[in-house]
Amino acid sequence: MKRSEPMSESYYYILLCLAKGANHGYGIMQMTEKLSGGDVKIGSGTMYGATGNMMKKGWIREIISNEAGLERRRLYQLTDAGREALRAEIARLRRMLENAQEV
Amino acid sequence: MAANYKNSYRMYSAWNYQKEVEDLNKASEQGWQLVRGGCFHSRYVKNPNVRFRYQLDYGKIEDMGRYIETFREQGWEYINSTFNGWHYFRKIYDPAKPEEEYEIFSDRESLHEMNSRWARLALIISGVLALFVVLSGIRLFRQPNLPRLVQLLIFLVESAVLFRGGMIMRNPDASRSRRGDGALITIFLICIIGGAVSMIVLEDTRPNMMTEQNALSVDQPIVDNRWNDFEVRYKDNYFLDVEIESENPLTFAIIDENGNAVYEVTETSFKEENICLKLPKGKYQLSMSCDSGFSLKCGIE
Repeated sequence: MKRSEPMSESYYYILLCLAKGANHGYGIMQMTEKLSGGDVKIGSGTMYGATGNMMKKGWIREIISNEAGLERRRLYQLTDAGREALRAEIARLRRMLENAQEV
Repeated sequence: MAANYKNSYRMYSAWNYQKEVEDLNKASEQGWQLVRGGCFHSRYVKNPNVRFRYQLDYGKIEDMGRYIETFREQGWEYINSTFNGWHYFRKIYDPAKPEEEYEIFSDRESLHEMNSRWARLALIISGVLALFVVLSGIRLFRQPNLPRLVQLLIFLVESAVLFRGGMIMRNPDASRSRRGDGALITIFLICIIGGAVSMIVLEDTRPNMMTEQNALSVDQPIVDNRWNDFEVRYKDNYFLDVEIESENPLTFAIIDENGNAVYEVTETSFKEENICLKLPKGKYQLSMSCDSGFSLKCGIE
């Protein structure tokens, strides 16, 4: 199996924030900041580029919300391929962490 | 009312776009708010009651709606885009908020991606211009003259400026000058205009003519028959092709304004290509003399 390339922090957090359900760009940014304790921020240019690239890779897709209060908002949703990419990245990070503990 | 608006014609090089952002921020502090950004012309409106921070992004945007929404979500107001793919944004400045609030690229990768988009285009154009330098060089070697040397130098400057710009943009660690580079941009624009003009002057005003005369037999000798003319707009080397087939010797000549032959040949059978003639500016006529059947072809460029 082809080893997957390490993901950039922004890509990783965007996927992570979508793991439990669809979200809009602003929601992803807020959740990322909260999860990382304010360490990781995702700027607008970074967000647009990362979501665009991940849509091309087929990791996420764009859906239009019909939820009350979020009508016609643009939301991003994780695809099966995206979930797999996230899982592979977490496994890679875990292995790296384990290696560090072994040394 | 007129004092409420201000136009600016200041230009910035792409690899110094951060300098433009800094200047926009400073202008905003002084009460001049950018309302339309451009490569050659920007427009400001006076409003001392707000303060904005500006940002520039570069690239072809596939989904403008999604793009503007992504920025708006974080408080960025889209101003406008230039014809060549730069996008202007502004955000109301709040000194209480951390500086990261006013960045649009939060990691190295995405900033590098944006810079590389411009760098790639610049390096491709630089490569095409370098090819022009080589082609100009070959022609200069064949026909040495001053206009062509100037043209070669113009292409060389354009190619070098874009190459340097592309390399600076591609390298995220390159130290970027904090000074404006108006002089370089001016030189570059003069070169662009000069290059275009030189191509028109050097290529379009050259005589380019093919002509022929044929007769199976002639009733009486033809003496100095001038059947065609051309004009030379600037002194240069021109190339002549001549082909003669005749029963008796045929004289072919190119006559200048003073009636002197700048080229002359008398033959029954003759074929030569790329005869190099250094012709001063002026009008020239083609002349032939023959007293028998003949075929004459001639081309000049």
